[in-house]
Amino acid sequence: MAPSVNDASPPSTVNDAVTENNVQPFFVLQKGSVRKSERKLSGTGKTRRRIDLSPELPKNSENLEDEMEEEKMSLRMEAFEFVWLKIESTIKDVLREINTSVFGEIQSWVHQSFGMIRSLGTPDFPEATRSFPIITDANSKKLFTGLVLTKNMEFVDDLLTFEELGKHLKAQGCHVANLSSLDFTAKNGIGGCLRSLLRQFLMSTLDAADISILASWYGEQNYNNPVVVIVDDIERCCGSVLSDFILMLSDWVVKIPVILIMGVATTLDAPRNILPSNALQRLCPFEFTLGIPAERMDAVVEAVLVKPCSGFSIGHKVAVFMRNYFVSQDGTLTSFIRSLKIACTQHFYMEPLSFILRDFVLEEDNWEFEIERYGLSPEVMFKHAFDLPSYQRVKMTKVTSESLAHALSELKRSQNQWRAVVSCLYETGKGEKVRLLDLFCEANDPESFNRREFDTCTKLEKDSVSSPSSRQGPSLIKGRVICEAVHLVRDLSTGQLGKLLKIWEKLTVGIKEINVKVKELQSLLKIEDGKSSKKDLIVTPKRHASRIQLNIEDSKSLGDKAAKLLERMVRDYMRPIECIPLHEIFCFKNVDKLRSALIGDPRRRIQVDLLEFQKLLHCSCCIRGSNALLPSMHDTSIMYNLAQEHGDLINLHDWYQSFKSVVLCPSSSKKKSRQSPLPKKRKDINESENRSEASIQARFCRAVTELQITGLLRMPTKRRPDFAQRVAFGL
Amino acid sequence: MAKVESPQVTRRTTRSCSASNDAIESTKPIEPYKPTLNDLGFRQQPLSFEDLLSCLPGRRTQVLELLGLLGPVNSPMFPILVYGGPSTGKTSVTLQVFRHLNRPFVYSSCVTCYSPRILFESILNQLLFHRKNSGNSYSSIKRCEKPSDFVNYLREALESVIKNLKGNSGKLSSEVSGQPKGTMIYLVFDNLERVRKWDKSSTILPFLFNLFDILKMPEVGLIFISNTSPDTYYFNMGFVEPIPLCFPDYTEDDLRQIFMANQTNRKLYSSFFGVVLRPFCRVTRRVDELSAVFSSLFKKYSQPLSDMGVAPNEDMKRRLFSHLQPHIASALNETFQSPSRPLLKDEANRETKKKCSSRMSTIHEDFDKIDFHMSTSAKYLLISAFLASRNPATLDASLFDSTGVSDSRKRKRKPSEKSLEQKEMTELELLMKGPGTFPLERLLAIFQCITSLAEDSLDEEESHELTIEGGSSGLMSDVLLQLSSLCNANFIIKGGSCPLDGSTRYRTAVSEDLALKVARSLKFPLSKYLYRR
Repeated sequence: MAPSVNDASPPSTVNDAVTENNVQPFFVLQKGSVRKSERKLSGTGKTRRRIDLSPELPKNSENLEDEMEEEKMSLRMEAFEFVWLKIESTIKDVLREINTSVFGEIQSWVHQSFGMIRSLGTPDFPEATRSFPIITDANSKKLFTGLVLTKNMEFVDDLLTFEELGKHLKAQGCHVANLSSLDFTAKNGIGGCLRSLLRQFLMSTLDAADISILASWYGEQNYNNPVVVIVDDIERCCGSVLSDFILMLSDWVVKIPVILIMGVATTLDAPRNILPSNALQRLCPFEFTLGIPAERMDAVVEAVLVKPCSGFSIGHKVAVFMRNYFVSQDGTLTSFIRSLKIACTQHFYMEPLSFILRDFVLEEDNWEFEIERYGLSPEVMFKHAFDLPSYQRVKMTKVTSESLAHALSELKRSQNQWRAVVSCLYETGKGEKVRLLDLFCEANDPESFNRREFDTCTKLEKDSVSSPSSRQGPSLIKGRVICEAVHLVRDLSTGQLGKLLKIWEKLTVGIKEINVKVKELQSLLKIEDGKSSKKDLIVTPKRHASRIQLNIEDSKSLGDKAAKLLERMVRDYMRPIECIPLHEIFCFKNVDKLRSALIGDPRRRIQVDLLEFQKLLHCSCCIRGSNALLPSMHDTSIMYNLAQEHGDLINLHDWYQSFKSVVLCPSSSKKKSRQSPLPKKRKDINESENRSEASIQARFCRAVTELQITGLLRMPTKRRPDFAQRVAFGL
Repeated sequence: MAKVESPQVTRRTTRSCSASNDAIESTKPIEPYKPTLNDLGFRQQPLSFEDLLSCLPGRRTQVLELLGLLGPVNSPMFPILVYGGPSTGKTSVTLQVFRHLNRPFVYSSCVTCYSPRILFESILNQLLFHRKNSGNSYSSIKRCEKPSDFVNYLREALESVIKNLKGNSGKLSSEVSGQPKGTMIYLVFDNLERVRKWDKSSTILPFLFNLFDILKMPEVGLIFISNTSPDTYYFNMGFVEPIPLCFPDYTEDDLRQIFMANQTNRKLYSSFFGVVLRPFCRVTRRVDELSAVFSSLFKKYSQPLSDMGVAPNEDMKRRLFSHLQPHIASALNETFQSPSRPLLKDEANRETKKKCSSRMSTIHEDFDKIDFHMSTSAKYLLISAFLASRNPATLDASLFDSTGVSDSRKRKRKPSEKSLEQKEMTELELLMKGPGTFPLERLLAIFQCITSLAEDSLDEEESHELTIEGGSSGLMSDVLLQLSSLCNANFIIKGGSCPLDGSTRYRTAVSEDLALKVARSLKFPLSKYLYRR
């Protein structure tokens, strides 16, 4: 996907373009190895680079090199699979963890309502399978319904949630069926959803689905367990079918203790809007709420990117892009995970040294750098490492195994520090809705870190003291969330501060320098506490007010101290990964690749390709660079080029005439001038002209249709039969 | 009678009957439960006449009338149509009357049997003593889809059952308990109004009404139960009109009897009832609706009491009433809108209280905002759809032109008398028409206008990271995807196509409340763009 975009740049020969697909793996590798040395030459295509390079290499060693590259590729693939598996399983665990409490709640509610249904009486088999209802009282038709608010308009994230819920309930002994909105369509009617219900319970398909079948099936199951029917999203269900379903279930609820669970994506008004009152009134609803998507997102980010998980990381720009995509575009966790996966794939694809990540995952603590393990010559490895721009910046003159290992462990150490500080900041801001994703973006910003390094301590203090609205200057805006967190610490009461410090202490266990400071603060706090408790004993009730004042001051000074500590942590230890040498191995930074893979922008692509088709076709007949329209060009392309001259309405007649003139122009005029003196053949000519007229019309129509299919044009309407309407303007 | 019967029987024995016998015999060893003739009755101790009347308070006249129509044992009858509003005791009365009479009947509800085939097969299964189970892989005894097949099968099944019944009554009379009395068999069709929806009622409904004439069997009684009055069925089709039996709504006294029937503390409940019944009866008299509301309200009513068995005096009644009063009005409103609501809110609140108090505050804050997540571009799209639906299309240019906003205001400021009148008219018209439809292009144009506006202001106010990502393209891409997900959430309805040019038109179903909430969350001045007066 992404490489093909680059491949669109002109290759040197046509042959090369043909074989391009076959050699792709090789030349991607070439690109990986070559990229660093040729970093400055950004505009040139890859194929050309390859050709430039090949003469330099001795011919016999080329094969050897290729083999090695291949081996390295497989190494990287292995590493990718390993890393992604780790990330994926972490995400799954996190999501499951988030839902457990709600699931537990739902399960206990299910059993409770089952008990309520059972208290109305347990019918025996002949009674349960009889067609007429068991009459007890008016409440016996109530259908217990759990409304699960998913808190997200998009539904994709929750498909998995409901599946998990089904599994959870099944494990607790319930009979569970998962229905989706596809089962509630007007076309299939109620038979469709009953059929899928029976299919899931009875494990067999029946041609006549009937709820009495379910009753006799339930009778054979000993009546001990509740029957749970989960409907994914009621917004998408057909209202009439759903209400029929509810009416039917509620008629049978004493005989088959069905408990309904419905997912509601928007608000509680949704069931009211969809269902008629007679169905609504049969429901006995109970509301459950899943975590909001932002919370889930934070949990995922924390587990995957902040806590040590796989070693893979994303750069600031990528993080910002992903955050913006989440907030303003899609809003689903699914797409976030997908973009993370794309980033991960691209990273391993492009980064020759990325296979190191695998061992990063394997041995978390005592990770040692051994080159020999990878079966690569150290020279190649050093070369790669040396080519990394971040390493060059440090200006190490000579790369040795020791220096490389040292640099890597250094990277790891500062990463750990960064992690600890970010977690501390997150814990601080948790109560005040500081989103980890925002914090992550900010903490990962290399520019603001560099600026911070230059800034003096006092300046930072000033930022945090001044309220967010009064802050001025572009440099201060970046650290908004961090400043807020620091600001928050100041205002904490002693008790809260104590709790927070405890958390900090836990988080910073690995980093001595910070941990010592935190412990100092804690002991200070203890002394303070002791003082205040002593004061409690001494101070008489008269002085109550003054004592409180004093206490507040105490805690304030402590808060100031804590805030200062946090500031120092941010300044000294929160070093973004992009500021550390060798970070390219672990960190994906290429936003453009990610964007083109994720969003694509297909319509623009189509327009560009239609206008500049030479780049794709590479035909010899069309002169590159000239704007003149030639009859040998592709019809649709000619048409679209012609359409550029019109406004939003295109007169079909004019368009056709200009198309015809382009198609016929050079050849026919020549012919006419030559052949007109021969009267004998005139008839033939007329005929052929007629034929060509017809074929031109056919070509015209086809081109118009193609433009319509690609969404660039709208066909003439009845209102304006002579005009086609342009839909897309500009690029 | 015998003349009619004998050819039928001989014809039938040829194939299907033997087949069905085979089926029964083959499944016998596996079958755990084999229904008998008793299953056509109620299989419970028959009710005495007094019990029958006492268990159906307020339905004395109807019970007596139904008994009269059914007549004594073994008397043929005309079809009966029992009708009345929902939850007025039609089904209960019919079933209890049969329990009292202890006569065989076949009941089928058209809610459960949602198609002709299932209705037919359900009736045949009952008549032929067939129960679906795993032994016969949950299949019906006969596959029957056409009314003509059904008539044949039904006649045959009825004859065998009647023969059975006759034989029994001859031998043992009704000494054996549980054995249904008489040789009449009754077919009960409940929820008949549902049948009108099946294939536009063209065949099945006339067929069912005609069944009496088609069968021509005096031993068969037909009872139809319907929510709607006989006028809603077209009877002038040349068959015997069923005798209508109306179940009117319960009166207040009836309701009192019904609700007092099984209360432990009658005095307390009657004092509660005196407060509650009058206002609620004005809204609804459906027993099921009332019982749901009353049970929750009674809980609230008796909340201050420690001892539930106490008999209230005047003073206590007054106190309890003042305690209950605020809840009545809200419950009244809710009953009218959606009875599922009050219970739910209550439970939800209790839930959150139980869970954790710290979270409560955030939840309550959120009540002010939208309670679900939407991406920013979806929000803008929703607002633009709302605007497109509300504003007349001719105003778009003046509203969204860069200079247009102030212009339109000036124009509005000095209206003449006549134009005012006209505007009122158009406003009324707009209100009557509801939200208007709009083509996709208009939606996108408005969307582009408001997003570009919003992004400008966003850049000025708080230069978020949005700026890095860069300008208008950020919100504009993937709009169609957002649109489809808005459609899925029922916020935007894809309407029919315009008659002139076949493009699809859309319409929003969003209330102004929600639109305002969304706008507030974006800090978008929605009211500035709304066309009002």
